[in-house]
Amino acid sequence: MQTNQETPSALERRIDMSVPMAEIDKEVESRLKRMARTVKMPGFRPGKVPMKIVAQTYGAQARSEAIGAAVEKVFGETVREQNLRVAGYPRIEPKEVAGSEALEFSAVFEVYPEVVPGDLSEQQIERPVLNVGDAEVDKTIDVLRKQRTTFQVAERAAAEGDRVVIDFAGRKDGELFDGGQANDFPFVIGAGSMLKDFEAAVTGLKAGESKTFDMTFPEDYHAKHLAGQTVQFEVTVKAVEAPVLPEVDADFAKALGVADGDVAKLREEVKGNLEREVKRRIQAKVKEQVMDALLAVTPIEVPKALVEAESRQLADNARRDLEMRGMKSQDIPVEPAWFAEQAVRRVKLGLIMAELVKGQELHAKPEQIRALVEEMAQSYEDPSELVRWYYAQPERLAQAEAVVIEDNVVGWVVDQAKATDKPVAFDELMGNAA
Amino acid sequence: MSAINQERLLQVLLAPQISEKATFIAEKNEQVVFKVASTATKPEVKAAVELLFKVEVKSVQIANVKGKTKRFGRSIGRRKDWKKAFVCLKPGQEINFAAGE
Repeated sequence: MQTNQETPSALERRIDMSVPMAEIDKEVESRLKRMARTVKMPGFRPGKVPMKIVAQTYGAQARSEAIGAAVEKVFGETVREQNLRVAGYPRIEPKEVAGSEALEFSAVFEVYPEVVPGDLSEQQIERPVLNVGDAEVDKTIDVLRKQRTTFQVAERAAAEGDRVVIDFAGRKDGELFDGGQANDFPFVIGAGSMLKDFEAAVTGLKAGESKTFDMTFPEDYHAKHLAGQTVQFEVTVKAVEAPVLPEVDADFAKALGVADGDVAKLREEVKGNLEREVKRRIQAKVKEQVMDALLAVTPIEVPKALVEAESRQLADNARRDLEMRGMKSQDIPVEPAWFAEQAVRRVKLGLIMAELVKGQELHAKPEQIRALVEEMAQSYEDPSELVRWYYAQPERLAQAEAVVIEDNVVGWVVDQAKATDKPVAFDELMGNAA
Repeated sequence: MSAINQERLLQVLLAPQISEKATFIAEKNEQVVFKVASTATKPEVKAAVELLFKVEVKSVQIANVKGKTKRFGRSIGRRKDWKKAFVCLKPGQEINFAAGE
């Protein structure tokens, strides 16, 4: 058994190995002998099949098995001897050497790169800072009110924001066309559910009025037969309804799930939710910057095998995701190659994180996991139930552990790097991360 | 042997009989056992083996094997009778079933 190592590229290794033929032959024979004792064949009692016939039927199989085992053994030994960390699976290439006494092959594989976390002290990390105050709460409640807008019949001309109920009939060259006619059709002006020109034409009409107008469909209209065409619409407005925002009162609070209708309590709840959300988004932002910083300072080459495995997994996830939404799996053209870039990033980060955790003792401590699980449980009705649910299965706990490790790494990096606090506007924070 | 036509010879041998007994006598007497068509004669078997396996045959012994009576539930059935030929090769000859056709 001799080996000979080559390094074609930074992470790739090629090891030439050879196993003496005699060794393989011996292995084949012993395998066949073991087989002969149990093998069944028509015409023979079990165990009475002559060696020759066993060899004839199972020889090739035993041989390839023996070679596989030998190759694996030699490879494993070599790897252990030279202390290599193999990433992915090795590719075994047999070498045909005529008249050779030994089986020669070379294994090509990749090793895990040496990860040296770079110097983080020059990296800038901006920590967004935002205090949830009354203004933010008001804004959120406004949004909630808008979602609960009711409409009331109003005796006035339709304006933007109003809901109108209309009959309409569209004619192209004097003919009614498909989808161009409806009765008692409600829509909100300005909500964008109708074409702009149509909305503009309806604006200003009172209940009971009707109007005939020409309208040109845009070139990129989704219905092909209408795109770019000019048609004539006849519209009769049946009712104009003005929007009414609900008052912030006990009923409103009740509708939102505050049982005793206490407005102060509603505000408190909204504030609590907002604070949680803001915290989460800030964390996400910081995490993103930390990851970018880590990538920036740590030059690292990734093993292709890992990237391939990762992109395949991402593709599988995407496919499963689409399947859950009701697409048929054969209709989904998901190629692992699409995820290559993402996979590279993920693999890199995974390697860096693993190194950091090892080097800086950032392992998740049980009490940290406990705290995290309990915090997650806060937003549920029955926190202790969720905590139990998490602790019942090791996989779920492992998820929590991963989150804790991530937090640890993020915390450590923030300590190392130049972290600055930066106040941000509420809308900016919420909008960007959405 | 030229009197026996080749087409007929190709139909004579049905299958090699591979069993414990067959391997036993193969070692003991340099014999090979075949299932043959039940109409086959010794000269036909000899010619067929020589034609197909390119070996020299010393002699042929033949046995008619009675089909076993088998019953399935109440009904009694009978397997077909068949003919078994023991082909004795000249010393030093061998038939390799894996390589020959």
